[in-house]
Amino acid sequence: MKMEGKELRIKTFLSHNTRRIMTYLIAAFLLILLGYYLPRVLPGDYVTAMYSQSQAIITEEEEAWLKAEYADKESFCEYIIALVTLDWGYSLVFSEPVSDLIFSALPWTLFLLGSAHLLAMIIGFIAGVEAAWRRGPLEKLSVGLMTFLEGAPEIATGILLLFIFALVLGWFPAAGGETAYAGYGMFRWGLDVLYHTILPFITLFFAYLPGNFLLARGSMIVILKSPFLKTAYAKGLPSLRVRYGHGARNALLPVVTRFGLRFSFMLTGALVVETIFSYPGLGTLLFKSIALRDLPLIQAIVLFSSLLVLTVNIALEICYRFLDPRVRNET
Amino acid sequence: MKHNIFNVLIINRWFVFGIILAVLLVIVFTAGAWFSRYDPYNASFSPLSPPSARHWLGVNDGGMDIFSELMYAVRNTVLFGVLSAAAALALGIFAGLTAAWKGGLTGNILMRLSEVIMSVPPVMIMIIVASFMRPSAVTLAFTLSLVSWPTTAKAIRSQALALRERMHVRAARDMGGTSSYIIVRHLLPELFPLYLIGFIAKLRMAVFMEASLAFLGLFDPARKSIGSMIRYALQYYYLDVWLNWLIPPVVCFSLIIMSITFLAISLEEVFDPRLKEI
Amino acid sequence: MIKDTRKILLFLISFLFLLISCLPFHSAWGGEELRIADSAGDWGYPNPFRHYPRGPGYVRMSFIFDTLIWKNNNGFIPALAESWNYNPSDMTFTFHLNSNAKWHDGKPVTGEDVAFTVEYFRTHPYRFIKIADIEDVQPEDGNTVVFRLSTPYAPFLSIIGASMPILPKHIWETVEKPEVYDDPKAFVGSGPYLFGDFDKTKGTYLYRAFVDYYLGCPKVDRLIYIRSANPLLSLTSGEADLANIRPEMAKHLAKKGMTVISDEHGWVKKLMVNHKKWPLSETRFRKALAYAINQSEIIEKSHRGFASPASYGLLSVDHEMYNPAVPTYPYNPAKSIQLLESLGFTKNQSGMFQKNGKELKLELLCSTITAAGENVADRDGEVIKNQLQHIGIEIELIHMERTTADVHIKKWDFDLALSGHGGITGDPVIMNQMILSSYGGGSVNSSRYDENRQLNEILEKSVSEMDHKKRTELVYEAQMIYATELPSIALYYPHAFSAYNPEKSVHWFYTKGGMATGIPISQNKTALIR
Repeated sequence: MKMEGKELRIKTFLSHNTRRIMTYLIAAFLLILLGYYLPRVLPGDYVTAMYSQSQAIITEEEEAWLKAEYADKESFCEYIIALVTLDWGYSLVFSEPVSDLIFSALPWTLFLLGSAHLLAMIIGFIAGVEAAWRRGPLEKLSVGLMTFLEGAPEIATGILLLFIFALVLGWFPAAGGETAYAGYGMFRWGLDVLYHTILPFITLFFAYLPGNFLLARGSMIVILKSPFLKTAYAKGLPSLRVRYGHGARNALLPVVTRFGLRFSFMLTGALVVETIFSYPGLGTLLFKSIALRDLPLIQAIVLFSSLLVLTVNIALEICYRFLDPRVRNET
Repeated sequence: MKHNIFNVLIINRWFVFGIILAVLLVIVFTAGAWFSRYDPYNASFSPLSPPSARHWLGVNDGGMDIFSELMYAVRNTVLFGVLSAAAALALGIFAGLTAAWKGGLTGNILMRLSEVIMSVPPVMIMIIVASFMRPSAVTLAFTLSLVSWPTTAKAIRSQALALRERMHVRAARDMGGTSSYIIVRHLLPELFPLYLIGFIAKLRMAVFMEASLAFLGLFDPARKSIGSMIRYALQYYYLDVWLNWLIPPVVCFSLIIMSITFLAISLEEVFDPRLKEI
Repeated sequence: MIKDTRKILLFLISFLFLLISCLPFHSAWGGEELRIADSAGDWGYPNPFRHYPRGPGYVRMSFIFDTLIWKNNNGFIPALAESWNYNPSDMTFTFHLNSNAKWHDGKPVTGEDVAFTVEYFRTHPYRFIKIADIEDVQPEDGNTVVFRLSTPYAPFLSIIGASMPILPKHIWETVEKPEVYDDPKAFVGSGPYLFGDFDKTKGTYLYRAFVDYYLGCPKVDRLIYIRSANPLLSLTSGEADLANIRPEMAKHLAKKGMTVISDEHGWVKKLMVNHKKWPLSETRFRKALAYAINQSEIIEKSHRGFASPASYGLLSVDHEMYNPAVPTYPYNPAKSIQLLESLGFTKNQSGMFQKNGKELKLELLCSTITAAGENVADRDGEVIKNQLQHIGIEIELIHMERTTADVHIKKWDFDLALSGHGGITGDPVIMNQMILSSYGGGSVNSSRYDENRQLNEILEKSVSEMDHKKRTELVYEAQMIYATELPSIALYYPHAFSAYNPEKSVHWFYTKGGMATGIPISQNKTALIR
């Protein structure tokens, strides 16, 4: 009986999701198409970008020779095949596989973005739930503060933090992700990276925190009014369990959904913060590749970041379906 | 319908804050533009001079009056946001209603398209378009609206679907009302709160995007914008320009975003939380 | 909840204290090290085939690969070659190599390597050097190598001798595709530093001293490049010991005990003119432009005085072959208007020039937009627009991203454009490259002006004139013609500064005439040699 139910559930899950999966496949295909054609319609090419302002002054013949050498000969079909076989091409600038470049920049971006995101979500969520639970002057104050913070853009907080803590007080470094070639052991290296990350991290954290807090609080207030919680309370379950086991579980859904929907938009803020603090990462790589017309690299970064957003969305949707009983039993 | 909404809104304190802030900003910047005695492109003053009676916020590196520059910058940034938000809203309403009313293949295609667009980070498209094609700010605003309409469309579609099944709309349909009659008479006006929410959300996003792109140096550098002012000023971070050159645009930008945010939050609080848009 | 919050707060505060107690985060490295801050960071892997074809890329390579000779402020100095001479009768350059010179893997540097390098560059070109005029290269005995030229080539010492990095034959002879060769052996050179690391994401480089360097072990054990957008902050906080700085920072840094050095006038900003398009094809029209443009106003407005007016003859006023008699075009609106009127232009009601009912309207391309701003944006375009509009020429200012603008200029799809280049204190062959399309057609800064046959001949002759005095005369004449014809209009030389920490007892300097082909960067490796 139980097994059957589970199988049935998986089956309905799959059948219900074929449409979604198809959608995502089409989306991925369109993104690849976009990633292939968009950089190609843009004016300028690698040889012009690299050599026309160069210290190494070249003649017209040399230029023609170089252009032929770096001409882009890949057709869309070949590109797709290469993508499928995980060959993302060679960067013209670095003459290195594009995937190597992306994967050396990605950890920094993921570390900064991911930690800010996750911590903002967790802390924002818990604080929101607690605020909804115990209403009072502290709650009012925190709601006011958070709404105020929600209105402070990354550019503003980033610049103020840079000014106060790096320039005036000199407590934190103004640039970079670590002390280069310092030769630290693991522990000190870790501290060094944390130390360099603090300012950009705080900037992003305070950009993400208020939204999560306000949303969690809002949903929790609605949930607290619902009868099932009163029942749970009446059963004499411990307050913490009622709060999180029964109540907050449901308040988690909108927070998770929001994460997925905002993820792609949040990249903008991350680029700004990377620029303000000269932090290494995908943003720096993207700007460089655009400035130097490194076609394979631009293509790969656009595609990769879009696929990343897509993946996050799919993953969240699956989480969502298993988290929310209503969605699960739909169909 | 409309005065009802206002009655509900006016007792919400975030709405009051937001509106007061917005009205204040509008007054300050209209009056400011009127007061600023100089053409913001007039580069004939002595560069980097400190604030004085003639130049309230001093003069920038290019010999331009910072106060006049700021007035123009705020106007440009906000106009960009309004333009892009209005276009995105129009697109979203159109797509959302079409998808809800027509359903079937058209609706399906529209909704799949919106999902595809939602999975592309808008900033990637904007960076590539802005850095390669040298479009005007207006074109960029429309480009942004092209990638930002789907969230509005989705919200409007689901709400319109629910509305379609409501009694009075059903009655209108049963009584033989044409599609256009029902759409114009019932759906369009009754979705009004959604437009407000959608517009405000898009406005916030577009203003933010404009300032960020200008800050990253992807706009025409001669165009006055809050982002490009911050960018220029930050190049002189080692001089005494913080108080008169860097902080004013930063503060103005924060105030604008804040007033928009307060409005967005109040709208979400007042209307059904399920209508919430990000 | 309040108790929880307190605990969390306490934890956070103690964590912060722990962090701050570990400060300052200076390197754990014990030996002497020197850090150079750079705003862009990444300039490619430091070997001839993988560095970016830009000055900073060359400099990063030059620490690892030595050339036959090198430059300091007194001109050419020995590097791999202890001595050299030219024999005009059979057009040969003979170089005597330093017998102590070793590759980083311990093998000696020989004439074979030099001959191999030239041959290798013939099939795998290195764009910094021009080797077409070399007939052949013969290693005579182990330490002597003879270059035979097919035609006399005056820039030989600077374009080849002091610019061509010598490659180890035993490593490269088996390499077919040097651009993708990423074995550690690709970084074996004979220079003062060994390649340590290059991190393309962070834009950092690490070099280690080569103990067996033939001129003695360099002063500093570790040389490091870091990326920093805030040179002033990096210098004052001790994160960096050398950085290029902006002019306004000089005073502040000097007060903090830094040594500030400034470059000669080695880089020129100029107004490119589309001389293939009427009315810009008229010399008189170009002269009218020159009279209408006020060099010192641009310098005042756009650079707050930190620049000097440029010579209209292209070569820098600091060049030993600079001709002080070149024509000048001091700001003179009346003269400009007079010239325009002589071309048949008349003013319309609104005071703007027109001819046959068509308003005179020009586009001015500016390209200060670079993604994420590598360049410092200036306001030159806005100032020039005002100046030209003042005399009655309608100007549309178009800002473009760098490479997009370059494409327009290359295709002659522009009227006026702002551009700039260095090399004007280096070998005078820069005149050929920046004027004639056969020398610099691939560069966007080249005027590609082939119309004046006399100028063509003089420039061609000057390159093959081995006699210094005669060459000077030819270059003088070329400058005269250039300044009269004005294929492009020189505007100003921006002042370039860098600052270093003198406590490291490494005294950096800007090389006279620029390093190698004329690179105006203060990171000359001879500063690190004892």
